[in-house]
Amino acid sequence: MTKKNRSFIALDVLLIVLTLLPIVAVLILKVLTNVPSEGISITGARVFFTLPLPLGGLPITESQINSAAVILSLFFLCLYMTHGIAERPNTRRQLLVEWVVEKTESMVSDSMGSFFAGYAPFIAAILALSALSSLMSLFGLYPPTSDINIVAGWAILVFILITYYKLKGGLGNYLKGFTEPIFIMTPLNILGEVATPVSMAFRHYGNVLSGSVIAVLIAAALQGLSSLLLGWLPGVFGEIPFLQIGLPAILSLYFDLFSGCMQAYIFAMLTMLNISGGFPEDEYERRRQKKLLKKQQKTKTND
Amino acid sequence: MQTLEIISVNLWQILISLCNLLIMFLIVKKFLYGPVKKVMTARQASIDAGYENAARAEADAEASRAAWEDKLATADATANAIVEKATVQAQHRADKIVAEAEEKADGMIRRAEENIALQEKKAEAAVRREIVDVSALLTEKMLRREIRSEDHRALIDDFIDEMGEN
Repeated sequence: MTKKNRSFIALDVLLIVLTLLPIVAVLILKVLTNVPSEGISITGARVFFTLPLPLGGLPITESQINSAAVILSLFFLCLYMTHGIAERPNTRRQLLVEWVVEKTESMVSDSMGSFFAGYAPFIAAILALSALSSLMSLFGLYPPTSDINIVAGWAILVFILITYYKLKGGLGNYLKGFTEPIFIMTPLNILGEVATPVSMAFRHYGNVLSGSVIAVLIAAALQGLSSLLLGWLPGVFGEIPFLQIGLPAILSLYFDLFSGCMQAYIFAMLTMLNISGGFPEDEYERRRQKKLLKKQQKTKTND
Repeated sequence: MQTLEIISVNLWQILISLCNLLIMFLIVKKFLYGPVKKVMTARQASIDAGYENAARAEADAEASRAAWEDKLATADATANAIVEKATVQAQHRADKIVAEAEEKADGMIRRAEENIALQEKKAEAAVRREIVDVSALLTEKMLRREIRSEDHRALIDDFIDEMGEN
């Protein structure tokens, strides 16, 4: 019993370490490769190296590495949370993980309907990936969600799903949907269709990036203000930006913590609404019944 | 170190990010929802089984309680019937015994009376025989003596008197 207990605890500790390790690794990478820049600079992700591929090559950037770290970290977190769960819950983490599962499932079936009940893991994945990616800025790391490519990838996947479920009502029905309410609206409808993923991507990306930009601007402004007001202090004291203490932390609370979680929630919500909203349930049901009827007739004639 | 522009679209990065979300989805589905759902389903099943067992046990208890109540209700009647039956039987037997005893006693009395009558008859016969013997003896005696008529008469009278006294 004690031996089993000890190995159980050892695996627990190992999983916690493995959960934290990717984040710590990218933090160390950032510290090792960081070059202090002069003045205010607002740039995209730093490029480590570029793989020579067609279509402009693949730059391996901070956002790539950070999102890989997030995925690894979440993978080990999943393993840790489900380690040792039993039919009779005996750990607090089991209660937590069951709460998470039930909450996401009820959220998904509430806003998408029972047909999409299997979407709970997908929505949970979006929530976790987006929130943790945005929260990386809390550690001073580059948040992958402030890279348009990352969010655009997610939005395109959502767009593919939306279109897939719209096509379930039949291709004719899908194409007919563009000419409604009148034929002249077709270009606008096509534009609206494309606008969905674009707006989703830009909303998320813009919110996270604007947080970073505002943080940089405020820090620079406070530094200037500090040297203006406290520059008369003797020696090294005059160079320490005292006014930078405090205020950026409060702003970070909003821009990193609240905005990060909020954007993750909004992205997940929009995903659910767009997928289930575009799905022509009546048409799908009608076609399914027709197919079933045809199949039955076929088997009858075969008999 | 190089940096990207703030907005720099790269197809490969978009594709990788798309795949990343898919991978994340598979991880969450397989390693979080899979085990948790399995445990929850198992728990639901065992809870259902428990409820079912409890319901069955309750039904069983209810049924046996009803059976016992029925039995208790009929027990009084059964006991009364048994006692009545026993009483009747006992009465019957007692009557029989008394009747038998009376019959036996009657028989005994009758036999005793018969016996007495027989004894009386025997006694009478014996007396008669005695009388004859005594008469013969007297006759002998008389014959041996000188017979006188007066004597004779007197003797027989005496004798008969004696006999009557006896």
